[in-house]
Amino acid sequence: MTAVIETRTLSKWYGNVLGLSDVSLGIEPGITGLLGPNGAGKSTFMKLLTGQLKPNIGSVSIFGRRIWNDFETFAKIGFCPESDAFYEEISGWEFLTGLLSFHGFSKAEVRARAEKTLDIVGLTGDKDRKIRGYSRGMRQRIKFAQAIGHDPEIIILDEPLSGLDPLGKRKLIHLIKDYRDQGRTILVSSHVLPEIEAMTSRIILIHQGKILAQGDIHYVRDLIEAHPHVISIKCGDPRGLAAKFVNEPYVLKIHFGPDGDSLVVETHKRDAFFGRLNQVVLESALRVEEITSPDDNLQAVFDYLVGK
Amino acid sequence: MLRTTREVFAFFFFLGKRSRKMKVFFLLSLLPVALAVLVRIAFGGRSSEVTSVFQEILMVYFLQFLIIILALFYGTSVCSEEIEGKTLPYLTTRPLTKGGIIIGKFAAYTALSALMVLVGLAASYLIMSFQKLGEAATYAALLRYAGVLLLGLMAYTAMFTFLGTFLKKSILIGLAFGFGWETAIQYFPGSTQRFSVVHYLKSLLPYYSAGKFSILTFRLEPTSPAVSVLVLLLITAGFLGLACLFFSLKEYMFED
Amino acid sequence: MATIREKGYSHWDGALEERKFPWWPITRTGIQLAFRRKHFKFFFSVSFLPAVVFLVGIYISERIEDFKFMIKGSENFIKINPAFFKTYFTNDSLLFLMVMLLVFSGAGLIADDLKHNALQLYFSRPIGKKDYFLGKAAVIFFFILALTLVPGLVLFFMKLVFSGNFKLLTGYPWLLPAIIGYSALLTIFFAFYTLLLSALSKNRRYVTILIFAVYIFSDVVYGITFGIFRSPYVALFSLKANFQQAGAVIFGQRLPYAFPGYLSFFVLFGICAVSAAVLHRRIRGVEVIK
Repeated sequence: MTAVIETRTLSKWYGNVLGLSDVSLGIEPGITGLLGPNGAGKSTFMKLLTGQLKPNIGSVSIFGRRIWNDFETFAKIGFCPESDAFYEEISGWEFLTGLLSFHGFSKAEVRARAEKTLDIVGLTGDKDRKIRGYSRGMRQRIKFAQAIGHDPEIIILDEPLSGLDPLGKRKLIHLIKDYRDQGRTILVSSHVLPEIEAMTSRIILIHQGKILAQGDIHYVRDLIEAHPHVISIKCGDPRGLAAKFVNEPYVLKIHFGPDGDSLVVETHKRDAFFGRLNQVVLESALRVEEITSPDDNLQAVFDYLVGK
Repeated sequence: MLRTTREVFAFFFFLGKRSRKMKVFFLLSLLPVALAVLVRIAFGGRSSEVTSVFQEILMVYFLQFLIIILALFYGTSVCSEEIEGKTLPYLTTRPLTKGGIIIGKFAAYTALSALMVLVGLAASYLIMSFQKLGEAATYAALLRYAGVLLLGLMAYTAMFTFLGTFLKKSILIGLAFGFGWETAIQYFPGSTQRFSVVHYLKSLLPYYSAGKFSILTFRLEPTSPAVSVLVLLLITAGFLGLACLFFSLKEYMFED
Repeated sequence: MATIREKGYSHWDGALEERKFPWWPITRTGIQLAFRRKHFKFFFSVSFLPAVVFLVGIYISERIEDFKFMIKGSENFIKINPAFFKTYFTNDSLLFLMVMLLVFSGAGLIADDLKHNALQLYFSRPIGKKDYFLGKAAVIFFFILALTLVPGLVLFFMKLVFSGNFKLLTGYPWLLPAIIGYSALLTIFFAFYTLLLSALSKNRRYVTILIFAVYIFSDVVYGITFGIFRSPYVALFSLKANFQQAGAVIFGQRLPYAFPGYLSFFVLFGICAVSAAVLHRRIRGVEVIK
């Protein structure tokens, strides 16, 4: 798939402070999670993508066009900023219809889109209330609404789940996945890893202005050779199973779980291990209850890459 | 650009009408109406005194206070309120030209200020000229005063819009210009007066006569009306153009 | 029984002491924030110019023999008496500089708290409304007293030093209380004035304009109404005129406006009372939004 968003040696300084350094990547249709701790450069990256900041070095292109001052491309982009800022004196309806009118839609189309979008985010009943009277969650939802109201091809969401209750988060994640299924490009930033994991396995990890890793979480994990994979197996005879692997060269460590019915194996060749495990289970008719990979997740990948 | 200007104008005119500050400024612009009523009561039928009171006194209020305050607040708001309120992304991530955003907001806020000022002007002037309401000259003078104030509003608002896009502390510079420079420079002789906006506004007033003492036109060496209008329009266009240029080129960072 | 404490939080077994002046941290922070603003230190230094000019005047008055050849009628030039001090305290430039200082240091005192919803943070601590107002007002006290009381006392003291005698003190024993009293009047008024305007909006820029505009507006209204009605009583509209009138009363000088001096005090304290009432209503720990 061709990348919709492309950056080439993208760098940004704030005086002497490095915001982003030498970022070259392509973002394809689907959901891409942008992960990093606070101050990593996520918002800087998003502001560069949305033309709010100008790169010091390098370039940002969307649909092959440089984004800075290219107002026409913004018809295809929806941006949900991180900051909790609104025109407080107007209602949610007025806010949404006002911003939709900037896209050149007719009055009837503006109304129709606004009604549909408010229904999607669940704010139809509160549309005539002033935004200053909205709760935190409602404010986040109206912010999301203004990003999707004009049916953009690219949706850039900066911490979209912040302030939402668990039901609200679940609903929004579901919505984002729907947009993915429609073939749109969605970039979501967060510092809460489980939220991103719930949406996508395609991630960009950013730390101190630099990209640490990019791609499918599992492939990224595989690339981290310095940290062996940890695999936990719950079965009827953990010690018997351990004996089958103790001579294998790719098994680095074996220890037993505190409950006595599981063993934890560390290996730097996951595929070889699983190949052998299948053989052993079939040969010995071993009853295996559960196989998990405790560190095959985003938190572990992030921790390893950041060097914790 | 035209579409952007139109849409932005409509949105911010609506937003501005709703704001509480507009009510405060509207009350401020109605003060001359109250004064006009008092003057009518005080002076009764002495219409010539009433006319001179309007130009010498009430116009001082409009020309050297009200339009400057309105232009200062609304002009600097064009850019600064979006930055302070962190609402700038809602505009700059839409298919709107940056120049159109500036011009649209400028037009909206100038229209709002003009409405407030012209209502106050018209009401106070017509009350003051109650006995001359049947004369065409009354309305001609009113139109002229309205034109002067409108041109002044546009010029000042454009200037302060530029300051707002260019500087962080635009309010303080604006205050120093509006109430410092504009006041002091009028007392300078010769061509130095021409380095102020208020000089050209005063040159357009309907009842100036050389040699006659007047608070408003004290030490005025007027420029011809045609040149004054041209200069004021050029000031408006020039500062607006600069504002659009800076807004397009500059990146704005929010204070966290 | 042994207890295992986790690292981090553990319950404080000591006694909680209440601070003597709960408002002090608010004042200290307000002053620090003012000095952190760009160009404020420069502007604050410039505000002392009138005091420096008057100090030079005191010096010249003592060395008048040396300057006699330059100045005709020098015997009557620069007499250091209550009128001199009244001139310092009520001069236009000092009042203007004070207003500008308020814009720098006072515009955001309450406006920023309203903008960032910080009132709940204040009132969830052991401080009351009184402490909050006192803390904020004390920031204004600091800056206005720095321009009024401090230079006033310095001028008084330097006159005694330069003259080498206590004639000023013995000749005008009420001068020192007058300096303190007038400084207090200006300080209290400007504190109420600034806090009132700062509490009216969450927008610091708007408050900046208000602080300046209300001061100028009062003068403009006075000018206009005087032009129409020619009555000295219209000077009551002007804050500057009221300061000058009150100053003349306090320093025992001839009143600049032909109306009783106590009316100016009524106006100034009346504004303070209105301000107190509005502040009491406006500043709440919890805001109900309909």
